[in-house]
Amino acid sequence: MDEERQVIEARGVWKIFGERAEEVLRAVRQNSLHKAEVLERFGAVVAVRNIDFAVERGEIFCIMGLSGSGKSTLVRHINRLIQPTHGQILVNGQDMGALSAEELRALRASRIGMVFQNMALLPHRTVRDNIAFALELRNTDPFTRHQLANGLLETVGLAGYGDAIPSELSGGMQQRVGLARALAADPDILLMDEPFSALDPLIRRGLQDEFLALSRTMDKTTVFITHDLDEAMRMGSRIGIMRDGEMVQIGTPEDIILHPKDSYVADFVQGLSRLKLVFAHRIMERPETYNKAHGNLTDVDTWPQAHPKADLNSLVSLIVGQQCPIAIRDDGKLAGIVTKDALLKGIQGQS
Amino acid sequence: MTVHAPGEQDSGQATVPPDNSDSLASFKEFAGPGGDRYGRTFLRIQQAKLAGHHLNISALIGGFLWAALRGNWPLFWIGFATDMVAAVNVALVHKYDLAAVQAATDGKDFLVQRYDGWSDAHLQAALILFFAGRLLLAWLADRLYYHHYTQWRVNRSLPSGQAIKRLGIGMLAVLLVAPLTIYRASQFAPDQRSCIKLAHMIQDGEQVPLKDRFDCWTISEFPTLVWLQRPLQYTFPRNDDGTRSIVVKEPSSQRPVNLNNWLSEHIDQGIDYVKAFYGWLFDGVTRWIRVLLNAVEAVFVGTPWIVTSLMLVMAAVRLAGSRMGLFTAAVLIYLALFGFWQTAMSTISLTVAATVICVVAGLPLGIWVAKSKVGAAVVTPALDIMQTIPSFVYLLPAVAFFSVGKPPGILATVIFAMPPMVRLTALGIQHVPASTKEAALAFGASPRQLLLKVELPLALPSIMAGVNQVVMLSLSMVVIAAIIGAGGMGFIVVDALARTQVGRGILAGIGIALIAMMIDRVVQKVNRT
Repeated sequence: MDEERQVIEARGVWKIFGERAEEVLRAVRQNSLHKAEVLERFGAVVAVRNIDFAVERGEIFCIMGLSGSGKSTLVRHINRLIQPTHGQILVNGQDMGALSAEELRALRASRIGMVFQNMALLPHRTVRDNIAFALELRNTDPFTRHQLANGLLETVGLAGYGDAIPSELSGGMQQRVGLARALAADPDILLMDEPFSALDPLIRRGLQDEFLALSRTMDKTTVFITHDLDEAMRMGSRIGIMRDGEMVQIGTPEDIILHPKDSYVADFVQGLSRLKLVFAHRIMERPETYNKAHGNLTDVDTWPQAHPKADLNSLVSLIVGQQCPIAIRDDGKLAGIVTKDALLKGIQGQS
Repeated sequence: MTVHAPGEQDSGQATVPPDNSDSLASFKEFAGPGGDRYGRTFLRIQQAKLAGHHLNISALIGGFLWAALRGNWPLFWIGFATDMVAAVNVALVHKYDLAAVQAATDGKDFLVQRYDGWSDAHLQAALILFFAGRLLLAWLADRLYYHHYTQWRVNRSLPSGQAIKRLGIGMLAVLLVAPLTIYRASQFAPDQRSCIKLAHMIQDGEQVPLKDRFDCWTISEFPTLVWLQRPLQYTFPRNDDGTRSIVVKEPSSQRPVNLNNWLSEHIDQGIDYVKAFYGWLFDGVTRWIRVLLNAVEAVFVGTPWIVTSLMLVMAAVRLAGSRMGLFTAAVLIYLALFGFWQTAMSTISLTVAATVICVVAGLPLGIWVAKSKVGAAVVTPALDIMQTIPSFVYLLPAVAFFSVGKPPGILATVIFAMPPMVRLTALGIQHVPASTKEAALAFGASPRQLLLKVELPLALPSIMAGVNQVVMLSLSMVVIAAIIGAGGMGFIVVDALARTQVGRGILAGIGIALIAMMIDRVVQKVNRT
């Protein structure tokens, strides 16, 4: 991966909760103890276990895992709300552990925005003052704060709600305020800790779409925590799957669905619809192979045409009502053939 | 005691439906000897068919000994207590009979009559108590024994069946309690004074009857040991140049004293020492309180009543609405018409001054408790002690170090009223959701900003509840502080009590109650909005 483009990098991060964490760490590394054994022997919890990952500029990196898998703990290492027991976090090449308290506060206020599952808005302040909170902490003047908050309210679709107090808003609206607050200082990095988990499904869906649209225009690097694989697949440029504090697999949604690293990940992705996550080039046959089997490539120009990056969903639309296969062309050159059988198997997940 | 006479309600139904056999087996296992009889009774209880007049004959005859044998200690104590009270009454009969004989020999006929009357009354009481107690026990026996059974089903280590060992334990308890108690009831116990006299007589080598000695040791005041030498007498006179010196003298008497006298003399000397050499500290505190109080009194007492009353009513209207304004006006009119104006304003001044000190000192303390483990470890036990001690006792240290008057009165009030301020401030801060604090930190809040912009605002309702409590506690303590010369409305009550002028006391008491209601309502209203 390109060093220049890396915004966040975790190197061998360990987090052990409990007394004598250092001692426990040594024991765990020597004897490669399991989480349950550590809890039994030391009364300590291994929340994050030797994790490496890197997030590139502009991508949405999803960390997916069930509750208790350590994903929320991991994300709090990025802005050092939690100190790692061992290992390093680099943000823009800067070692977070080496920052002084004041430098850390400045970084948090200006470079890293965070959105929380339970919104965590300040109930005694207006929406506007909540949004401008980070700026207020850095002593920005009230006029600038006011202007900026109004602009952000418009961005998140809450124009005119500036003088409301949080409890007057619905959950979805509160989370929009939470998002606006995270964006207020125009940070490069957004940390989103299960931001939409507490919302009901319809609102969640809407907010996911809005956030995707927003992030396309804003060029922020996002670390997105979720326990919902569908959400991870929708949002993530890349996904890291965590279990018991370990990063099991990191990859693009397609990678993970096609090449699950172990049975745990496979179980996860089993029930997932592949229609929008798998693309034509994964299931097409090479023209020569097709020719050898069927020997009928003469009328290929009359067949439906598609790009290798077309997802299975669009291929289904093309092939419905047709007797012939689909021709996959890259820059006008015939790259492969997708037959109906191959498409059906591709949807099913057998290639 | 294994034979149980069946009650007449049993005779009609000898056979038990077969599906009860499981329950019956369990009952029998629990009851051991006499299982059949208890099994039938328990079954009736389970089926809610037990007759209202059902009695356990064994319990009726055996009393608490039956309960001990069965290992049911609640029943044992019930039975033992009723029998014991009956026995004490018998002892009292004996005591008054003896007293009557004594009175007859002394020729005090009116006393003879009185003692005879008491003797008869106690005899009747003894009989009634004994039989009623046994009946009660017999009635309760099977019902509580069934409860015992249900607990035994959950916890098999509970006593079941009957055991001679438990009977022994019961007898032992009776032997420990009964003889001396009954003896004490049958005698006129010597008072502490005559026992001290007796001790002195023994020391002087005089012959003392054995019975008197026994009585003094067992049925009088707990025999405090009189063996400690009196401490040396320290005084701290002032020299010509203003410094103090320490002068030691032999104690005035050589007679040994008990622990109480010995320690209290030491404490007195310690306080005298501290006052002599650290007096500047107490004088300083007194002066500052005086300054604060003067400022507050200038507002309430030093301002003409027309201005003060208008101010108070307007404040009430502004803070709590027109209805509270009307109530405040009514209270003020009452105080004015009954001639309490100046005293009431003085009481309010004391309350306000104490409240100010409580809030100013309590808020930082509360923050310390909430934020620091050391703070919590230091302050919380102190608060516990402060809240356990009855308010009267606070007057002691205040008087000891600060003498009498308004400043020590305020000081005692502050000690009494501050705990809720500290506690509720700490509680409010501790109850700020961790997620909210985390969010503030994530946006770069410094510890100070976290406190000022997040924790204190969110803890404000709790803090205001603390202020409300401080005000009410201050008012009540300020009234009590009148005993040490804090003046105000409390003084009128204390004075009226001393002279048994009940009417005057009642009027002042109503005034105090009205002031309390006025302040309470206004503060509460402010809290709610």
